[in-house]
Amino acid sequence: MRRRRTFGLAAFGAAAAIALAACSSGGSSSSTSPTSSPGTTGFNAAVTSVVNPSTTKGGTINFGNSSAPDSTDPGNTYYAYMWNFTRLYVMPLMTYKSCPGQCGLQVVPDLATGPGVVSDNGLTWTYHLQPGVKFEDGTTVTSQDVKYAVERTFDRGLFPLGPNYFSGLLGGNAAKYPGPYKDKSSKDKMGLTAVTTPDATTVVFHLAKPFADFDYVAAIPQTAPVPPSKDTGANYQLHPVSTGPYMFQSYQLNKQLTLVPNPNWKASTDPNAAQLASKITMTMNMNANDIDSRLLAGDLQVDAAGTGVQAAARSKILSSPSLKATADDPLAGFTWFAAINTTLAPLNNVHCRMAIEYAASKTNYQDAYGGPIGGAIATTVAPPNLVGYKSFDLYGATTDPGGNVAKAKSELQACGQPNGFTTGITYRSDRPKEVAAAQALQASLGQVGIKTSLHGFPTSTYDGNFAGVPKYAAQHGLGISFYGWAADWPDGYGFFYYIAAGKAISPAGNTNLAQLNDPVVNDLIGKMATTNDAATRNSYTSQIDMQIMKDAAILPGVWAKSLLYRGTSLTNVYVQSYYGMYNYAVLGVK
Amino acid sequence: MITFIIRRLIGTVFLLIVVSMITFAIFFLLPRLAGQNTYQLATQYVGRNPTREAVLQVEQQLGLADPLYLQYGRFLRGIVVGAHYNSGTGSTYCPPPCFGYSFRSQQPVWPQMVSDLPVTLSLAIGASVLWLVGGVSIGVISALRRGSFFDRFSMGVALAGVSLPIFFTGLISLELFSYKWPIFPNVTYVSFTTNPLLWARNLVLPWIVLAFLYAALYARLTRAGMLETMSEDYIRTARAKGLPERTVIVKHGLRSALTPIVTIFGMDLGLLLGGAIITEVTFSLHGLGLFTVMAIQNQDLPEILGVTMLAAFFIVIANLVVDIFYAVLDPRVRY
Repeated sequence: MRRRRTFGLAAFGAAAAIALAACSSGGSSSSTSPTSSPGTTGFNAAVTSVVNPSTTKGGTINFGNSSAPDSTDPGNTYYAYMWNFTRLYVMPLMTYKSCPGQCGLQVVPDLATGPGVVSDNGLTWTYHLQPGVKFEDGTTVTSQDVKYAVERTFDRGLFPLGPNYFSGLLGGNAAKYPGPYKDKSSKDKMGLTAVTTPDATTVVFHLAKPFADFDYVAAIPQTAPVPPSKDTGANYQLHPVSTGPYMFQSYQLNKQLTLVPNPNWKASTDPNAAQLASKITMTMNMNANDIDSRLLAGDLQVDAAGTGVQAAARSKILSSPSLKATADDPLAGFTWFAAINTTLAPLNNVHCRMAIEYAASKTNYQDAYGGPIGGAIATTVAPPNLVGYKSFDLYGATTDPGGNVAKAKSELQACGQPNGFTTGITYRSDRPKEVAAAQALQASLGQVGIKTSLHGFPTSTYDGNFAGVPKYAAQHGLGISFYGWAADWPDGYGFFYYIAAGKAISPAGNTNLAQLNDPVVNDLIGKMATTNDAATRNSYTSQIDMQIMKDAAILPGVWAKSLLYRGTSLTNVYVQSYYGMYNYAVLGVK
Repeated sequence: MITFIIRRLIGTVFLLIVVSMITFAIFFLLPRLAGQNTYQLATQYVGRNPTREAVLQVEQQLGLADPLYLQYGRFLRGIVVGAHYNSGTGSTYCPPPCFGYSFRSQQPVWPQMVSDLPVTLSLAIGASVLWLVGGVSIGVISALRRGSFFDRFSMGVALAGVSLPIFFTGLISLELFSYKWPIFPNVTYVSFTTNPLLWARNLVLPWIVLAFLYAALYARLTRAGMLETMSEDYIRTARAKGLPERTVIVKHGLRSALTPIVTIFGMDLGLLLGGAIITEVTFSLHGLGLFTVMAIQNQDLPEILGVTMLAAFFIVIANLVVDIFYAVLDPRVRY
């Protein structure tokens, strides 16, 4: 998934404290339904509170998008903003609580009546569906529709873009199930034995091995029900059948999407969404600067990507008190970092990696990402908005933000390379900020004698052909790879598995670029998967983070922040911590 | 003339086949020669952290593992007789000329291009009328009033028009006339059939910006051509015969000077019909230019191939029309 966000750590701590206080005092109902209280205003007001709370109906919310969604099919999307946007038209089994601050990291039931009920052996997860939830055509949602929705994601040929957690987690015939379209095992083409439906409102997931984070998996839009009779395969993206507050009125592929209220949606069964606007549009493939200008002019209300305004608009907003008062700069949930190849000599020696941690100028890294507005200096790999996060700073990122040459040289001495060494740095050449960060790191490392060569590759082939191919990295001496990561769900497992688990290393498309295969990290990640007690499980998050930093396998750069412009016409605006952008599911317009 | 047109049309088909082969080779063959295997190619079209099985399924679905000649043959066959694609629940028929099936959107390429074509057509034709009329008129007047204030001023403006890139003039015009003074607010494409007035109003800025660049070129070209032509002996003879000055200028001077203008106009219009990339991106117009940019960003090879073929087709046809038009302009030209 993609996102970003900002804040100084202190600011974040204060904000988190306020948010947590708000959540605890507000009780479970919190702010999921809009009220008419005045709310707070000003810069960053929407980070911790609801701005312009209102129950007024009507109006059109226009979203602008500088690209196009990977897919509007809930079963085939992996973009963070689409996971946010799909809540407008579908209800997965679980979702994230609609409320500002840290409260928005809580996974709560959506289509289900409660969290999954896990069996004693941890191998089955049972969800009961809310009665009376209907599709846009008035037919009642059944557990079969949920099962079918999960089944169709197994056809990776047709739906290659969404996550593939189900095929890895589920037992039964999941490992070889080809999806319903090629399913010859049953007449109704619903032969996935790992998902059963004892009755019309119960769906049971049978896992191959225990997985304590399964509620988070159930919150992925892939569990949103799909009626088999209305499935149009690859064309389903043109009109997914709605269970949410809005439904598709028209969709010109990759150009223009129009949503209108779903007459069969009930607020009582979907408290995490609202149906306030009378129409929602998304115009795709717009010029990013044009989007900003239209936002400022009021022609558009929301930049769908939720990654912040461009440089030109940023200076306008920050230099104008009135514009700044209607903007927010939240942490986006993304950490930008450089992975250090733990298998390539001499970086297979931890002291050589530590030399890099000390030598790097974090200030320059931050400057490359636009200074404090673009990101906060990261002291840990995990961003602060993970459940179970704990702050620490092993290499003086905040005390010596310009780098510590003396300590770096000392570590070089310890690793037997007192005069430094030579290695390659990879980065995504079509990302100017990453290019600048790579150049800054090259300069920092040069000060301690570490000579580096820069290797830029296009984003589209970065994982598949170059940095993400361990063999290529070894053959070309690529010791440092720039990257960024956001969690699929906000805990240690969701964040760390793909970038730090030994099992995640793959021959191509690899995202564990450090090729870290530390038994301690692997063990902690494994424990997270099997520990049902939430407090114990969440405590592993910071332990994994700490161990990765002790291994010096990753050089954290910045915790990304996005300067979002909310304007004055939107109502019920706040940043949902999980998405790191405004919560699209509850927006209204004046 | 008929024989000439038939001969050129046959040549056009062969030319397009060659273009398709070259384009296909660039995108499908070169990566293999550079060491990229089909598995790596397929990983570009899968989401984050794909399993090996997922990549293999995509490789199979997109037909990437098939021999290249088979993939190319399938592509050509689709253009001639159409193709069927598996959409899971059934088969999607892509009628000829079917330019393949998008790797990203899992939809046939041709209908997407067809839906973008009216935007590019509207943009290119409107702008070309503006620049042709404006550029040629200014060029003629400048040539006839050589050294005058108008000549120097218009050529100065023309120089600016050639020098200023469209993304600059486009953004400035949007900032001034769409946001600061909302004379043309909310520039989005509205089809001519939906609302002709809104269609024109929303395209005025892109037309002017695009025409500004080209008009500058055409003004300078026309001026140079007119200056050369008006100094020819036959112009002096025409004047000596007592022909009215308007006839001398229009019938004898301009007609002769127009020949190179028509040549370059054919090329320019053909290129634009393949997508006015920068203008469309600047104004967020969903035409073939923007389609091309997105196809490249997404590494969507069938879309890139399709739009390249269509652009080549437009250029070849535009040149054919230009060749025919030569005969009208210059009676010495016969086919």
